[in-house]
Amino acid sequence: MKDADISRRRFALLAGSASAAPFVLTGAEPLTAQVVIQRIQSELGGEWPATGLDGWKGGNPETVVKGIATTAMATLDVLKAAVKAKANLILTYEPTFYGRQDGQPRPGGGGGRGPMGFGPDDPVVQAKREFIEKNGLAIFRLRDHWQARKENEMLTAFAGALGWGKGRVKDDIVYEIPPSTAEAIVASIRDRLKLRAGLRAVGDRKATVRRVLVQPGSMTPATMWSRYSEVDMVVAGEVREWENTEYAADMFTAGEKRALVTVGRVVSEEPGMRACAGWLKSVVKDVPATWIDAGDPYWRPA
Amino acid sequence: MTAREVVELIKKNSDAPFNERSYRDTFKAGNPDVTVKGIAVTMMTTFGMLKRAHAAGLNMVVTHEDTFWNDRDDTKDLTENPLYKLKTDFIAKNDMVVWRDHDNMHAMKPDYTVVGEVRSVGVKGGEDAVMAPRIRTIPETTLGEFASQVKRLTGARALRCVGDPKAKVSKILIGPGYATPRMTLEADVVIGGEQQEADGSSDNVEYVLDATSLGMPKGIIMLGHVMSEEPGMEDFANWMKTFIHDVPIQFVPAGEPFW
Repeated sequence: MKDADISRRRFALLAGSASAAPFVLTGAEPLTAQVVIQRIQSELGGEWPATGLDGWKGGNPETVVKGIATTAMATLDVLKAAVKAKANLILTYEPTFYGRQDGQPRPGGGGGRGPMGFGPDDPVVQAKREFIEKNGLAIFRLRDHWQARKENEMLTAFAGALGWGKGRVKDDIVYEIPPSTAEAIVASIRDRLKLRAGLRAVGDRKATVRRVLVQPGSMTPATMWSRYSEVDMVVAGEVREWENTEYAADMFTAGEKRALVTVGRVVSEEPGMRACAGWLKSVVKDVPATWIDAGDPYWRPA
Repeated sequence: MTAREVVELIKKNSDAPFNERSYRDTFKAGNPDVTVKGIAVTMMTTFGMLKRAHAAGLNMVVTHEDTFWNDRDDTKDLTENPLYKLKTDFIAKNDMVVWRDHDNMHAMKPDYTVVGEVRSVGVKGGEDAVMAPRIRTIPETTLGEFASQVKRLTGARALRCVGDPKAKVSKILIGPGYATPRMTLEADVVIGGEQQEADGSSDNVEYVLDATSLGMPKGIIMLGHVMSEEPGMEDFANWMKTFIHDVPIQFVPAGEPFW
């Protein structure tokens, strides 16, 4: 853990403060969004380069914080719920402005296939910015540093939300669970995560499942190839259909009694951001922190 | 006729210049010089599809998508994988050969993947469709009604929609597979196969959720990657029949993978 200590010290230097307790506040000082973020940065450690994904995405960092909301994705509905809950600092795991560029111009202009992202003049982009300004919100993306913690709650909280937290076998992603059929477990996942059409499954629905691997967010083919045979079921956020889905389908054709279940990228990231709100209570005691669920975006017609 | 000769005929008859440097449009498994008994045209070379092709007496597969579970069909990390061995052994034992036609198919005019997709969702006038999406106008309906129609016509079990089912829609943008079009100001509904849900170049899902929250009539219908491109494989097979007459050519569906 030496590396973490070093980078934490380097962060303190980068942040222009080498004092022992740089972020302790006196009662009179206003708690700005910037101050809260500095406290979070100090607690999580690591470097926070301006070119990284984590950073300010909207609003004013000088805003005085009344409450903090965490979410997997800061949709407009999530922002509306935050305002209702009197939270004005939003920590979001995914982008706010519809892509990795998050409303910033792409370095070097276009490239790739056709126009990318949604421009600053887009009415939805404008309306969201106006909502953020009007309600005095400040939006910070917190992904890389949150998932880099030694106990990665993006993984453990996801397993916990599925009711499997006690069965951890190894490396935070493999869990032993009470034996049940794949289809019964799928029904339970749908219920626990309040899923609508976002849940999709491939493989053997009659398989007896005793061991599962959880992979919130995106799952790579390399992980699928090397670990699918270790378990009876993989529960992931999203995969590519012509990669991991095809692999699970081929395993089924080969007679393997396993299943791959995807619940949606954002849905799979919510438990970890709920855990983030819990963690914040120990880091920022001055204001409340709550989790706001973006929910399953998908529905299926009759 | 060898598989290599079949590929040369496809290149010769395609109206798009063939990109010899494409990593996608190459032989993936089997011997290119094997004598072709019959050709199976498919959206994706799943193991199940290979078995069905073999049972139908077809030993050459022309596939739009990959065979070995990654876009590049890179097999360097798969040499010890039991499923890889099973699939390649099946291909070898049965004198089968697999060639992928992806980039070329999308460069052709028309792009048969889009022709098939437009037809499959019940939108007229897609016979000359190309890869670049354009607005197609349908009689005004609601997103919910239209999505029901799409589900019924395509039979897609794992269809996913975003937006207000009551939104009034008529302007449709349709793209194949992973090339789900970016939502635009003009379009009411985007139809695609699949797309990274967030943190990509253009996150349609969050955009449509927010537009919906603002009361704008916007929707997404995701068919699934296979379901979006599979109908056009029949068109591609029919196109191949116009210049290959010596061996049977058959559309062999990969099928929707989801429950």
